[in-house]
Amino acid sequence: MNPFELRNPDSVAAASGAAGPARVFKAAGIDLLDRLKERIDDPDALVNLLPLGAELGGIGRSDDGTIRLGALVTLQQIADSDALAAPGLRALREACGEAATPQVRSRATLGGNLLQRNRCWYFRSAAFQCAHDGKGDRCLAWHGENRYHAIFGVVDCLRVHPSNAAPPLMVLGAEVEVQRGEARRRQPIAALFPDSPAAATAEHTLGADDVLIAVHLPAAAARGGSAYRESREKQSFDWATTAAAVHLGVEGGRITSASICLGAVAPNPWPVDDAQSLVGEAPSRELFEQLARRVFRRATPTEQNRYKVEVGQAILVDALLAAAGL
Amino acid sequence: MTSRDEHEMRVGFAGDAKKITVDVPTGDAPPWDLDTRLTSVGGRTRRIDAVAKVTGRARYAYDVDLPGMLHAVVARSPHAAGRLASLDLSAVAALPGVAAVIPLKEPGNRVRFVGDPIAAIAAQRLDQALDALAAVRAEYTTEAAVTDFRDHPDAPELVRGEVVGPWPGRGGDEVAAALAAAAHTAEGTWICEVQTHSCLESHGLVAWFKDDGTLEVWASTQATFGVRGGLASALELPEEKVRVHAEFVGGGFGSKFGADAEGVAAARLSRLVKCPVKLMLSRFEDHTCAGNRPSAIIRIRAGIDARGIITAWDYDAWGGPGYTGRGGGTRHNPTYFTRAKTRNSHRDLDSATDAGRAMRAPGWPQGNFAMEGMVERLAELAGMDGLAFRLLNDADPIRQAEWRLGAERFGWEQRRNPKPGTPRDGDPAHLLRGAGLASAFWGQMGGTGNQVTCRIHQDGTVEARNGAQDIGTGMKTVMAVLTAEELGIAPERIRVTMGDTNDPVGPASGGSTTTPSLAPTVRHAAWLAKAELCERVAAALRVEPGSVRCEGGRVIAGDRALGFDEACRLIGPTPVEATGRRFRNYEGYQDSVAGCQFAAVVVDARTGVVRVEKMLAVQDCGLVIDTLLAENQVLGAMIQGMSYALHEQRIVDRATGRMLNGDFLNYKISGPADLPDMEAIMFPVANGKNNVGAAGLGEPPAIAAPAAIANAVGNAIGIPLRHLPITLDKVLAALAEARRNR
Repeated sequence: MNPFELRNPDSVAAASGAAGPARVFKAAGIDLLDRLKERIDDPDALVNLLPLGAELGGIGRSDDGTIRLGALVTLQQIADSDALAAPGLRALREACGEAATPQVRSRATLGGNLLQRNRCWYFRSAAFQCAHDGKGDRCLAWHGENRYHAIFGVVDCLRVHPSNAAPPLMVLGAEVEVQRGEARRRQPIAALFPDSPAAATAEHTLGADDVLIAVHLPAAAARGGSAYRESREKQSFDWATTAAAVHLGVEGGRITSASICLGAVAPNPWPVDDAQSLVGEAPSRELFEQLARRVFRRATPTEQNRYKVEVGQAILVDALLAAAGL
Repeated sequence: MTSRDEHEMRVGFAGDAKKITVDVPTGDAPPWDLDTRLTSVGGRTRRIDAVAKVTGRARYAYDVDLPGMLHAVVARSPHAAGRLASLDLSAVAALPGVAAVIPLKEPGNRVRFVGDPIAAIAAQRLDQALDALAAVRAEYTTEAAVTDFRDHPDAPELVRGEVVGPWPGRGGDEVAAALAAAAHTAEGTWICEVQTHSCLESHGLVAWFKDDGTLEVWASTQATFGVRGGLASALELPEEKVRVHAEFVGGGFGSKFGADAEGVAAARLSRLVKCPVKLMLSRFEDHTCAGNRPSAIIRIRAGIDARGIITAWDYDAWGGPGYTGRGGGTRHNPTYFTRAKTRNSHRDLDSATDAGRAMRAPGWPQGNFAMEGMVERLAELAGMDGLAFRLLNDADPIRQAEWRLGAERFGWEQRRNPKPGTPRDGDPAHLLRGAGLASAFWGQMGGTGNQVTCRIHQDGTVEARNGAQDIGTGMKTVMAVLTAEELGIAPERIRVTMGDTNDPVGPASGGSTTTPSLAPTVRHAAWLAKAELCERVAAALRVEPGSVRCEGGRVIAGDRALGFDEACRLIGPTPVEATGRRFRNYEGYQDSVAGCQFAAVVVDARTGVVRVEKMLAVQDCGLVIDTLLAENQVLGAMIQGMSYALHEQRIVDRATGRMLNGDFLNYKISGPADLPDMEAIMFPVANGKNNVGAAGLGEPPAIAAPAAIANAVGNAIGIPLRHLPITLDKVLAALAEARRNR
């Protein structure tokens, strides 16, 4: 493998300045090490973010109820955090607590989880050239093996977005804070993902010198109820085949706000616009089952991943019931 | 002709004990039987190498790091089928760190699968060797490849999972007549996908060809002497110039019997560069170039008479053993069919994928999955419970007792779903519970040709040595327990050495033969050493030799009782040393061991996910040398079987023949959170086969679990699932079809 330089910047601005083509940010390195070993990434330099724990770490709650999650916070810290104890935030804790294994969760960071590359087995093998890795001209999964691939939002690439944390952050209305040079900006988390997740498009929209420094949760997110549910083939160390994050406001027996985002079913975290149809209704299993049927009627599965339609409906109903406290 | 002594033994088990007279070869230790009272044997001894293993001090081949050692890798074919047209390695040798490169395939020869070895490269560092792969210039003429045995031109036609087409013409008259006469008949097809061995330590070895012309090797192997022979023959060396070590082995499961092309390549590279060369496969290579359990398609038609007795059994199978086109045979337990007309036919279908190898009970989990599935269907036709139907048909006296014991301990009556496909009382509508059971049969009692050295030193140290390997089953501890039993001391006192071909010859660890081959040899060595110890003690104390015996950690000489160490001080500076032999087996009680397993599952009918809630095994292995070790073997096999039943499958890209899930993220193996409540009940039998009477536990417990789980899923959802692994998509498809049919 090409020798690479390991840079340890002393500030976020320095990290951003150290970025460039053929340079990769490294947090815990969980995903990056796999890519380096498989030789699908060949960087000249790794810009190590771990020394920036003081700026990029920590979970903080402001007096106004907003919450800041540093990009280097580990999944386990989120799963265990008292600052995230409100029922409205439960989806995020559940999602992070379900990911991978205890070892990985204790090391993997929130930023890394959001920005990891997808797990399509064609993309992950240096032996295959596909349209997404830029070396091929088509999606190999499309006419190949795709039992774990996308059933929604497919443009020309069947990859699924692998992040556990993204769907709950989407339904919580999170914003991400990004620094480029000295300049910081905040943007809705949805803007982190491409409008049209085509093969030629990266999984996220950050520029090469953009450093994800934090995720912010609005105070309103803590109110209401939320839940995350996923289905996977194994209970130990497995990827979700389908996942659903839900946030519901319920007052006086009626749903006042509803937000749903599916995971592991589309190249992006997949927000469900139909969630709005729940507003004004009384929460019930029947209502939720109707919605789930409607949502998954629009899925476009392959012969091999048709099961996701049925599984996804069940998972979504479970998440809705849990969020509604039913 | 060997002289013999007639010896009376009480054999069998409590429910079926009998006296038999066996011919014990002269010189053998007097055999243990049902009436023998044993002290260390049958206990729960902690593995003698447990601390070394859990602290990481145990040195596996993968851990070997020698001064000046080079690292080697193999360049492999990216194509599944074709020929190597040209091979140019000239650019490789010039690269930084590269010490040697050798071709492993001549231009013009066939490439047979993705991963077929082409060349081997040794470099100072592993990353340099990996970099050098890119400089191998190989050209191929490629051919269209069949990468799944189902696409083979001779593969049976499958319609909705069932084989359609004629049954074999030959030899079926008796079966056809029995089917015609049967009160009920059934027919069905079962399919199994490829399982990889997934050894935690990948295949490979370190080879050091020395200036004196000898070759020393540290290998991850199930056959130290086999690797020695293989390397000696490949390098044209006399065997005595090759020494193979395998002190610890990180799993083999049948895939590590030889040096393999890679091991030979490492030895050849070492001969070129005159320094140690390490070549261990990567995880992907281990999944794709080191064997697997072949896939299978099995169809069965069978008939029962009005009482429910199986009278016709026609078994027709296809195996998918990869490019060799050999070794894909399936097997099943014969003890249900003693009153049936039977026929068994098989064809292997080659494909351009890695070759199958023996894997823990080769062919048996596949065959038993199909067989027990059909037995379940026949029970249904007979209007009988699955357990009652098996009790009616099973001719094995040991398993008859095991079925009853297991059913009681498992709670068969309570766990069986009386209305398959419907929730049990108190369960939500989507949770379906069920229970299943299956039999296991194995028939290896070990062989001759092995030797063990037992040495007792003046300082009280006792050694037991054999050159074969402990592949993780606990064989070293078995040697300690047996030696300790004979000498009347604690197993922890015995220093056991295994895995060095300079020590006495031992077997390859395959077919559950290591324990039955070595255990009587170990005991014989200790028995001889004890006799000499007693003689020397008697001489030193000037008492009658016959009056000295070893017992309870002491050496009793007439009216004196010496501590064992105290007695050893009397033996003088020359250690007591005895070489034990493995005599032939006696006629014994029976030649096979019996087992059965029960499984209870819960199926989420909405997501198709199957969870196993409870598994229980009852297993005979003859004499249980150590209960903890035996249970450990059984539990491990149950987990491996559950993993095969629910998760494991090699997924290959049909277009290229390349495995897509050749890693531990996507090749799914049951993990800790998947494990059910598990129970292993050992069922001791005095089998009277030799002076110890122990059978091995590699294969026997690795047969029943997939069938038991599949039958449990069938009982839960009301539809038989006949395609392993039972993944969520298959469960959902089966439930959907059932809904359509209602």
